[in-house]
Amino acid sequence: MLKLMQNEWMKLWHKKGTWAMVALLILAIVGPGIIMKYYETKTAEDITWQENEQQVINNYKDMLKGDNVSEVDKKYFEEQIAISEYRLANDVPSQTEGSLASFMTFASNMLTLITLFTVILAASIVSSEFSTGTIKMLLTRPMSRAKILTSKLLTTFIFGLFLIAVNVVVSALVGFILFGGATGVELEMVNGQVVEKAVWNDLAYHYLLSGGDFVMSTLFAFLVGSVFRSSSLAIGLTMFLSFMGGMIVMFLSRYEFVKYIWITHSNLTQYESGNLMIEGITMPFSLTILAIYAVLFLAISYLSFMKRDVTA
Amino acid sequence: MTTQPIVQLQNLSKTIRGKQLIQQLNIDLYPGQITGFLGPNGAGKTTTIRMMTGLMHPTEGKVIVDGLSLQENYEEAISKIGVIVENPEMYKFMTGYKNLLHFARMHKNVTKERIEEVVRQVGLEKRIHEKVSTYSLGMRQRLGLAQALLHRPKFLILDEPTNGLDPAGIREFRMYLRKIAAEDGVSVFVSSHLLSEIELMCDRVAVIQNGKLIDIRDINIETSSFYYIEAAPKDDVAIHLQKFDYNFTVENNGFVVEIKKEDIPKLITQFVNAEIQLFAVQPHQKTLEDQFLEMTGGGQIAEANAK
Repeated sequence: MLKLMQNEWMKLWHKKGTWAMVALLILAIVGPGIIMKYYETKTAEDITWQENEQQVINNYKDMLKGDNVSEVDKKYFEEQIAISEYRLANDVPSQTEGSLASFMTFASNMLTLITLFTVILAASIVSSEFSTGTIKMLLTRPMSRAKILTSKLLTTFIFGLFLIAVNVVVSALVGFILFGGATGVELEMVNGQVVEKAVWNDLAYHYLLSGGDFVMSTLFAFLVGSVFRSSSLAIGLTMFLSFMGGMIVMFLSRYEFVKYIWITHSNLTQYESGNLMIEGITMPFSLTILAIYAVLFLAISYLSFMKRDVTA
Repeated sequence: MTTQPIVQLQNLSKTIRGKQLIQQLNIDLYPGQITGFLGPNGAGKTTTIRMMTGLMHPTEGKVIVDGLSLQENYEEAISKIGVIVENPEMYKFMTGYKNLLHFARMHKNVTKERIEEVVRQVGLEKRIHEKVSTYSLGMRQRLGLAQALLHRPKFLILDEPTNGLDPAGIREFRMYLRKIAAEDGVSVFVSSHLLSEIELMCDRVAVIQNGKLIDIRDINIETSSFYYIEAAPKDDVAIHLQKFDYNFTVENNGFVVEIKKEDIPKLITQFVNAEIQLFAVQPHQKTLEDQFLEMTGGGQIAEANAK
């Protein structure tokens, strides 16, 4: 098994596309970092942070006076005003864009890119063996088909985790080099109290919740890739579902069964923001549904791969 | 033959969507023997080979390798088989050596020394560390043979192995197969549509048509000897041949006569005495192509040659 994964890992890194993915990911972290740094130093000279906070308060107060302010917006504006007033009263400057933590929070958005790259690998790792004909060489060996498929699945996830690790390490390094010296505290309102934000906890939580979409998209792409042996179909379908998933759920939201499809649940970050896709779902319920679908996707992938007559 | 067969196909059948592609195939393959596998296009050669290598699951019947059923003891049975199915497809983005390393890892007990030994045997040592995408078709065939031999299989299945090899390469390949069959007792099963190639390489041929085995026979043993005789006038020759009770057929400008070697001088003397003009007397071997034509009928052979 270990040897099979060693094989898959070797094949993976002999493809130029893999290196391109890693290079793109690093570029996508470093590039915006430099732009932000430049932007920050340009604007920071003009006004002090106290003046800036005062401006923010005035802006929000103006907006509150407007006619069409919804309840949600009103609450948000008031929270922001309270936070800014707290900053002025207690002499706590904000970080704006310029801290290690905020940069790493920004970089956590790269998870979308990482999911895309992992999906590309999941979609092609089985289907490419079919399209090049090497599947014949691979399957006429003293290794069961189940083992071969498992080695491919595990390699896909290890690659995904590797990209996540690259993301964390590179964003930490870049953040430290560019914004390492910056001081400041992030604040938020909890139960009407202004408190210091637990940035690192939030960040870890965000990574964890993003895992839902990461795992489900990867498994889905793996399923389509190994059943239909077409990587483009697998990538296309998976991307379609992750972009249009929200629309589909909205469209189907008047039916009861929408609760039981995985698209409704795969984006777990909805529990972080509190804007749920549909009403009445809870985290344990979502996790259960996702687990059921994950098992289903895997079962179909394995059955079809093991029963298939190879004619490639 | 007294030895135990190394591979047995027992009632092997395959039905896809109601179409019976292979019907009740029974073939025994023995150690040290090279068996050719012939058949017109669509006869089921590739399907049979795919079932023998575990790429396809038979609808009925089984493949037994060294006493083990391929269907039940897959991992153990397949480890005795070396395979090249059609063109050996390699990972083009890796070097030849990395490809071999890749396949070696999937077998037990294939050492780095063994890889180097196989590379030497197939004559690729100069180019083995270059990417497969730079290889010619012949070099890929050699690499394909190398990966099939890595684990010292007792049974070698080759689907059109000489495709793309140059004449010297084909000859070398043939010698090599003969060598491992004779020295290591490897049983070889070769499918090809190059009839002359099969004729030179094999001890035995199995012929399949429409999914059924229609003949299996040894090649080099002639049951009776034939001679081609060209002489004139033809009528007199025919009368003479009839007089001595020889079976004969008219072919081109002469006759193919079934006659023992020791009777030839006698026949020549007869002809000379009868003042028949004798142009040629030569041994006439029925080529495999003729035999193949006889067995499968003319229509299909045209198709097979067109491939």
